[in-house]
This record gives sequence, C-alpha cells and structure tokens, in this order.
Amino acid sequence: MAPELWPLAIFLFTLFLLLGSGVWIGLALLGVAFVGMEIFTTRPAGDAMMTTIWRASSSWSLTALPLFIWMGEILYRTRLSEDMFRGLSPWMARLPGGLLHTNVVGCTVFAAVSGSSAATLTTVGKMSIPELMRRNYPEHMVIGTLAGAATLGLMIPPSLTLIVYGVTINESISKLFMAGIFPGLVLAAMFMGYIAIWSRLSKSFNPTPEPTTTLMEKLANSRFLIPVMLLITLVIGSMYLGFATATEAATFGVLGSMALAAAQGSLTLTSLKESLMGATRTSAMIALILAGASFLSLSMGFTGLPRALAEWIGGMGLTKFELLMALLVFYIILGCFLDGISSVVLTMAVVEPMIRQAGIDIIWFGIFIVVVVEMAQITPPIGFNLFVLQGMTGHEMNFIARAAIPMFLIMVVMVFVLIAFPELATWLPENIRQRPVS
Amino acid sequence: MSNTHAPPLSRGPIRRLIDGLFDLSAGLAAACLVAMLCVIVAQMAARWMSFSFPGSTEYAGYLMASASFLAFAKALNTGAHIRVGLALTALGRHRFWGELWCLLVASAASCYLAWYAVRLVYWSRKLGDISQGQDATPLWIVQIPMACGAIFLALAFLDNLVSLIRTGRDNIVEDTSTHTRTE
Repeated sequence: MAPELWPLAIFLFTLFLLLGSGVWIGLALLGVAFVGMEIFTTRPAGDAMMTTIWRASSSWSLTALPLFIWMGEILYRTRLSEDMFRGLSPWMARLPGGLLHTNVVGCTVFAAVSGSSAATLTTVGKMSIPELMRRNYPEHMVIGTLAGAATLGLMIPPSLTLIVYGVTINESISKLFMAGIFPGLVLAAMFMGYIAIWSRLSKSFNPTPEPTTTLMEKLANSRFLIPVMLLITLVIGSMYLGFATATEAATFGVLGSMALAAAQGSLTLTSLKESLMGATRTSAMIALILAGASFLSLSMGFTGLPRALAEWIGGMGLTKFELLMALLVFYIILGCFLDGISSVVLTMAVVEPMIRQAGIDIIWFGIFIVVVVEMAQITPPIGFNLFVLQGMTGHEMNFIARAAIPMFLIMVVMVFVLIAFPELATWLPENIRQRPVS
Repeated sequence: MSNTHAPPLSRGPIRRLIDGLFDLSAGLAAACLVAMLCVIVAQMAARWMSFSFPGSTEYAGYLMASASFLAFAKALNTGAHIRVGLALTALGRHRFWGELWCLLVASAASCYLAWYAVRLVYWSRKLGDISQGQDATPLWIVQIPMACGAIFLALAFLDNLVSLIRTGRDNIVEDTSTHTRTE
C-alpha cells in the first residue's frame, strides 16, 4: 500500500472496529472522528469537537424530531389502531385480497401521523394481526404485507429519517416531507396491487368472508377515521399551505394527538408522562448519534476522503444511473449492519459531495435513500421491523424474513420507478407554498 | 443491545444516589421538552397576533440541546442507545470481554466529551460569548445543562464499567416498551 494511504487505512479501520465491536453508535462515531482529527490535522480536536456538537445539538431544525416522536408516543397509547381497523375494514372487504389491504392502508394512514416505521408496525399490527388470523388469512401474507407496508412510516411524512437527513445536509425539512408523499402513495399502491394479484392466483387464499355491509353502514363506520384524518390534515396541511414549519407542524401534531387522546378518554396523567419520558429517551438516543456524526463529518472534511471519493467517482465517468445503482447496493449492504438513521448520518459527509457533483437533486436523493435504507429494515440479519414482528408473532426470524421477500422486491422496483419518474418526488416540494415569515 | 437480566434486588445507597441523579436529570430533560413545546406555541401565537418574540428559535434550540444531553444517562441505562450487536452476540460466553471493551471505549469517549463540554462552558464564560441570534443570551448559561448531561453520561458509563468488572454485568436494563419505537 502506498504510504500516503496509511492514515486513511487507520481511520477506516477504526471506524469498522468501533462500530462493529458494538460500541454505542454515537460514541463510536465520536471516537473515529477523534482518531481522524489526530491523524489528519494539528487543530486541537476537543474544542473543535465541542463547538461543532453544540451547534448541531442546539439547531432549530432538530426541534421537530422530539416533537414528532412524542406525537407517536401519545398516539400509540390511544385506541387509534382499533378505530382505524373498524373504519377501514368495511371498505377493504370487497377488494381482491380482502382485509389484507387493511395492513397497507392502515400503515399508510398511520404513517402520515407517525415518523417511524416500527411505531407504524406496532400500532397497526397489534390490531390487524389477531383480526386477520382469526379470519383465516394466510399468515405469511399477513406478516409480509405488514412488514413491507410499515416501511411507509419513514417515507410518508412526518419521517424521522428525513428529519435527520435534512438536518445533516442542511435542507428544508418541509420540502423533504412533501417529496415523500407521492412516492409513499405509489409504493402503497404497488403493495396493494401485489396483494390483489396474489390473492387471485393463490389456491390457498380462502379467508372467512366478511358480512356484506351497505354503503350507509360503511359510511357510518368511517366516523372512526375522522380523528386521524383531522390530525393528518392538520400536520401535513399546515406544512403544505406554508402555515407552519416542520417544527410547528410537529407542535400541532403533539397538541392534536393530545386532544384526540382526550376525546377518546385515554389521556391520563400516567399515559402522558409515559409518552413524554419515552419521547425524551428516544430523542436522546438519536441526538447522541447526531452529536457523534456532526463531529465525524468535521473530521471527515480534514481527511479529504469526501472530496477524493467525489473526484474519483467523477473521474470514472459513471452515468447518474450507474452511480445510483452503486449507491443502492452500498446502502443495502450497509443496512444489513446499521439502522437507517445511523446509515444516513454516517455516509452523508462522503456521499453528499458525490451526488451534488453528479447533479442529482438532493431532495430527490433523500427519498431514494429512505426507500433504500428502509429495505434494510426488512432484511436479515438486523432488519428492525423483523425483530418487532418476531416479538409480536413469536415466529422464527427465517419465516418472517421469507414472508417479507416479495415486499423487498417491490421496494426494489420502487427504486427504479423513482429513477424513471423523478417528478414523483420533486414536483410537490417545488410547488409548496412559501411560508409567510422566516 | 445488552444482556437482559433483572435489576439487583437490594440496592445500596450509592446505587440509589446514582440512579436518582439520572432520574432527576431525565425529568429535567422532559421538562425541557415541554418548555420547548411552549416556546414554539408562543412563537406561533406571536406571529399570528403579529407581535415579535425575538430569539424564539434560539431558545427552542437551547432547550433541545438541554433535553438531549440531560437524558443521555437515563437513556443508556434503559438500553435506548443503539449499537451493532452482531459481534457481541457472536462472542457467546466470552461476551464479557466484548462488553468490557465497549464500556472502556465508551467511558473514554464520554469522559473526553464531558471534559470538553465543561471547558466550552468555561471559555464561553471567560470570553463572554453571546448568542449570534436576536436573543443575545450569554452562551455559558445555556451550555451548562449540556455540560451536566455530558458529565452524567460519563458517570453512567464509568458506573457500568465498575459494575461489569465487579459483578460481571452492567446496569443496563432494557426497557422493551420504549425500544420498539425508535426506528
């Protein structure tokens, strides 16, 4: 190896060693960044670290994060999942594939008030799994569609991964949120299409039929959907109309979900306290990763790695498509070992200059990266949604992972759809109304 | 992810003191979150009624940083901080050494963080740094919670390290009820 590459090798070795051996991710990033600073610059590392971390931790755009988490925690403690199932199932019963569609539609609806796919999964699944099993739906389809559809939680706004992405690359979170809407709906439609086709072709698909309901009954049952629809309108609408920034929309969301919980009678002091403490812990978890990552990206700058890589990639004369394919494979592999948020913060310092140089729209890339890291949520060995489903159903990991394979493939198709029709992600953010005051 | 085990039945006074400290700190973090919510509500209200609330975004930012740092220690002991568990699981019955290595690295990193967090407060005070925003807050005041949180996190790691060496296991008790909703 050329001697000038040694420092870089040590830097990368430290990165893999610390992350791989199981050091808490935020601190592992901090440690790697420290090693990088010591090797590549004479600048005093500690003080530079602290200034960077302070700036990153106290940033205004980050404030949307704990609020959206809190909102999800409040809604998780309400009867929302029962209500959604009751409201949605009469409409889904007649579709080919029947109530399997409640998984997809339920996840889509809940994704619009929740920033996380695991939250979407647990909330929708705790109702739909027992109900569908009772009606003799094939178990691998119930589990598979749920695992796949829950990933919509990160695509349809609000989305924790998109907040983290936006904070990392300094782009408008509202725009990123708007960019996620259509791709999310298209992905949901693809899941539903798959269910419909599968149910027609399969011989083992023979669920207990639903009692027929009249239109009036369907409409009457839909009243259970009104609260959640109001909440979605409030959160997404306020951002789209330029009423509110992402943080302010999150505030609406927290207050709105409190009102919803109160209306249902499930707002108690205990549940409120639990939700607040849960949100505090979860946002602290992400904040620690972001703190480490902010120092790492400072340190990365000194290593020259991002620029060198961008130039190297630029020199290879890859087309945009080839570059995206390379990144697709890279993120799928990375996603086997890291969660979505960590994958994003760890790589953006290096990947951002690369894609900017290639002329790829940075907002569009946010949606691309979310689809890709979300695929990792349903692939072993550490697909997070698989763990959650394992906890909920008691099945072997193998069974769940195999049930999720078709959904994984659909998401791969989605990546290509996104590449073929970039407007899906870019049209809405370009037409968002500017908010009146900065 | 850590070993799942029941917390020790009898807790000594030092244990209670440390846990109490982390609980208190997490409580303050939660209070910061609520305060942040209030600041944002006030900011919106001010905008609609068209009077000004200068520095509201800065205040929300300070509260965000305080909420994060003050909750670090508690988040550690409830198993909320994530890590790549593959290698540790692969170690099987030699897991102790893996945990020891992780805690050593994490203790060193968090002590380093705590030291420089305190230094940042010291220098902000000494140099009289004030916020660049409209709020013009002296920065050392709003940086104190961050420094405290960083110290608590270092303390939490050292405490876990000592426990691991003395009893062969750490104090991290995974709270599964929160763990399912982090992703």
